[in-house]
Amino acid sequence: MNLRELIPQKLQEKFPQVKFKFVDYRGDLSVQFDKEHIINIGRFLKEDPELEFRLCEDVTAIDWAERKNRFTVVYHIFSMKHNFRLRLKVPLIGNEESDYDIDSVTVVWKGANWMERETYDMFGIKFNNHPDLRRMYMPEDFQYYPLRKDFPLMGIPGSLPLPKKE
Amino acid sequence: MGLEARLKSEGFITSTVDAVVAWARENSVWPMPMGISCCAIEMMASGDPRYDIARFGSEVMRFTPRQCDLMIVAGTVTYKMAHVVRKIYDQMPDPKWVIAMGACTSSGGMYRSYNVVQGIDQFLPVDIYLAGCPPRPDNLLNALMQIQNKIGKTKARDFQDKKLPDLTVL
Amino acid sequence: MTSLLFKLTKCLFLDNFGIQNLSKSMIEQYIPVFLVLGFAVFFAVAVALSSGIFGPQRPTTEKLSTYESGMKPVGTTRERISVKYYLVAMFFIIFDLEVIFIYPWAVEFKRLFGEIGSPVFISMLIFLIVLELGYLYAYRKGGFKWD
Repeated sequence: MNLRELIPQKLQEKFPQVKFKFVDYRGDLSVQFDKEHIINIGRFLKEDPELEFRLCEDVTAIDWAERKNRFTVVYHIFSMKHNFRLRLKVPLIGNEESDYDIDSVTVVWKGANWMERETYDMFGIKFNNHPDLRRMYMPEDFQYYPLRKDFPLMGIPGSLPLPKKE
Repeated sequence: MGLEARLKSEGFITSTVDAVVAWARENSVWPMPMGISCCAIEMMASGDPRYDIARFGSEVMRFTPRQCDLMIVAGTVTYKMAHVVRKIYDQMPDPKWVIAMGACTSSGGMYRSYNVVQGIDQFLPVDIYLAGCPPRPDNLLNALMQIQNKIGKTKARDFQDKKLPDLTVL
Repeated sequence: MTSLLFKLTKCLFLDNFGIQNLSKSMIEQYIPVFLVLGFAVFFAVAVALSSGIFGPQRPTTEKLSTYESGMKPVGTTRERISVKYYLVAMFFIIFDLEVIFIYPWAVEFKRLFGEIGSPVFISMLIFLIVLELGYLYAYRKGGFKWD
C-alpha cells in the first residue's frame, strides 16, 4: 500500500484522540495537529518499523501577521527507507508573546538542534527543553527577531553596530 | 623612521627621491586578499597564468595584514564581518590602499537587507570601486593599474610620521 | 707505511676530483659559494632594514594589537608541550649514532671479510646486541608508547 494512504491510516489508529488534518497537494503530503502531541507523534513516525522517518530535514515557522494564531511551526521529515517526505504543521495558538513556545524535538531527532536555534533566532519561538537555545545568526544581544512581519526590511538603524570610520 | 618624509623642500633631490620611492611602491603592490565571497573566485582567477597578476608586482598574496599595502575586499560584507575587516585594515602598516571589488562592497549589491553593509565606505576609506557581479579578472587588473597610477603620484611628504597616541590611564 | 699513505692520497685526489685540482686547497675551492651566501644575507638584511628606515612610522593601538584573523585575541600563547617529543628526539639521537657507526663498517665489510674473516661480523654483532639490550629496556619501560 502506498505511503500517502498508509500514513493517515496509521496516525489515526495510533492517536485516536488527536484531530489531524491531511492535505495532499501536488505531490506533498502535510499533516496538521496541535502542539501538545508533537513529541509523541514525532517519536512514533521515527521509530515505527514500517515508516522510519529518521531524518529531520528542516524546522522553520510561518508568521501569519494578522491572523488569529500568529505562528505555525513547520517540520519537514524524510524517510530514507521509502524516499518519502512528510510535512508536519503545528499552529501555535494565541497572539501573545507568552504563547510562542513549543516542545523541542531534539529528544527525537538530534539534528533538529541547530534548526530550532535558527527558528528561535529569526522568529522568537521558544523551544522548551532545548539543550542550547541561543541565537544563531544575529549577535547574542540583538533585541529583535528579523523574520517577523513587523521587522522592517532594512532593519532598525543602530541595532547592529558598525565600526567607526576615522 | 620616515627618512624621506622628512625632506621638506621642493627641490630636484626631493622630487627625484619621491619619484624613485613612488616607482618602487607602485610596482610592488602586495595585496591582502580579503576574499569573503564569490568575488574571491575572480580574484583567484586573476592570479592564475591567464590573467597573471604577478606581472604587475603583486606576486605575493599574503594572507597576513602585516606585510601588505593593498586590501582587496572581495565579497559581501555583513555587519558581523565588518568588525573583522576593519580590524584587519587597522593592522596593515601605512601606506595602505583599499579596492572595493564587486557590487556588494561598493553599495550592498543585490543584498538589500538588514544585515549587509550597504557599501564598504561606511567604515573604510576606499580608493577604487569596481563594478561587476563578479567583476572579471581583467577588471580587477584595470583597478590595480589605476591604483598604481595613484601611488605613482604620491609624494613622500604625504606619509609623515605620527606618534602613538597617549593612552589615558584610568 | 709510506706505500699505504701514497695509496690513500692517490685514491682521494685522483679518483674523486681529477688531477687538475691538486694545486688548490679545499678552502679555496669554496670561496665562490661563500661569496654568494654573503651576498644573499647582505641583500636580505639591507632590504629589511631599508624598509624600516625609509617607511613612515605611524603606530596606533589597533595596529600594534595581536593578529588573530580579525577577532579579539583569546587566551595566552604559553602552551605546554608534552614530554613525548623530547623522548622521541632523544631516542632518535641514540639510534642514529648507532647507524652512523654501522655505515663505514658496511662499506668496508666485503673487503675486510675477505682479509680477516669472521671477527668482522662477530664484532659488529656484539655491538648491535649491546644496543638492542638498551632498546629492549626502553620498550619494556614504555618509552615507545606515544600516549
